[in-house]
Amino acid sequence: MHYFSQLFHYDHPWSHVVIGMWHKYPNPHCTHVVTIDVVDRSVDPQTGIIRTERILGCKQKAPTWIVRVFGGSEDAFVREVSYVDPKTQTATISSVNLSLSQFATCNEMIRYSPSSDNQRTVFSQTAEIQARMTLWRAAADKLENWLVQRFEQNAQLGKLGFSDVLRTMWETKDRQLACAH
Amino acid sequence: MAHSLTDECTPLKRQYDTCFNAWFEGYLEPAVAASANPDQRSKYSQEKAAEYEASCGKIWAQYRDCVQKAVKEKGLDALLEQARQENPMKDPPPPPTPGKS
Repeated sequence: MHYFSQLFHYDHPWSHVVIGMWHKYPNPHCTHVVTIDVVDRSVDPQTGIIRTERILGCKQKAPTWIVRVFGGSEDAFVREVSYVDPKTQTATISSVNLSLSQFATCNEMIRYSPSSDNQRTVFSQTAEIQARMTLWRAAADKLENWLVQRFEQNAQLGKLGFSDVLRTMWETKDRQLACAH
Repeated sequence: MAHSLTDECTPLKRQYDTCFNAWFEGYLEPAVAASANPDQRSKYSQEKAAEYEASCGKIWAQYRDCVQKAVKEKGLDALLEQARQENPMKDPPPPPTPGKS
């Protein structure tokens, strides 16, 4: 089992980050995410909490040995369930791989919450990556290591990409507002 | 905007996403403000949930039908079903416990 975690701030208020969440892809840093579909969504009429279930389709080349051993392809799919709670000002995103899930699981949890001064947004990300125990140990370790490596690369790209998306989005909006006044 | 699983669903997806985003952008900040008071919160939530249904319900139904078909075509229906059984995620995750990372 491998654990990954990181914590940092986005220099935008919580509401801007959460509105921006739905605009994260496509972005040039994260070209591996090619399709996004909402498969279920509800707005709770009592609490105002929004639950969204999505499937993300990714294209990323896997090493030949992985394709040979596990029969994977460069298409990989992820299930993602998010909650936006206006009351607690929390947005959480939980993800799990659908592809290769008979061999390994990658569970990721992201949380966006306001910083104590409400000017910025705290981003926390944790992931647990584990090959299923039934595999031959050496192959399982190699698979797990490859998944960890790829996860870490993608996490870095996600941060870069989303920072750009937020900057562009809110700079344009602020300029439009400034012009309108 | 990203693509849908199949080209057939992409136009519906984009229409739906545009509808949801427009609704959500008007929703979020007043929702935060309204949630300071329990009565106000449930009144606002109820109004906004109905507004979402009225503006995006129709296009959502079309998009959902298309994407459900696409999920099946791509052979993802069994994987999705299995993931839902393993972890339904029907409730928001609990807040992180302080001191535990």
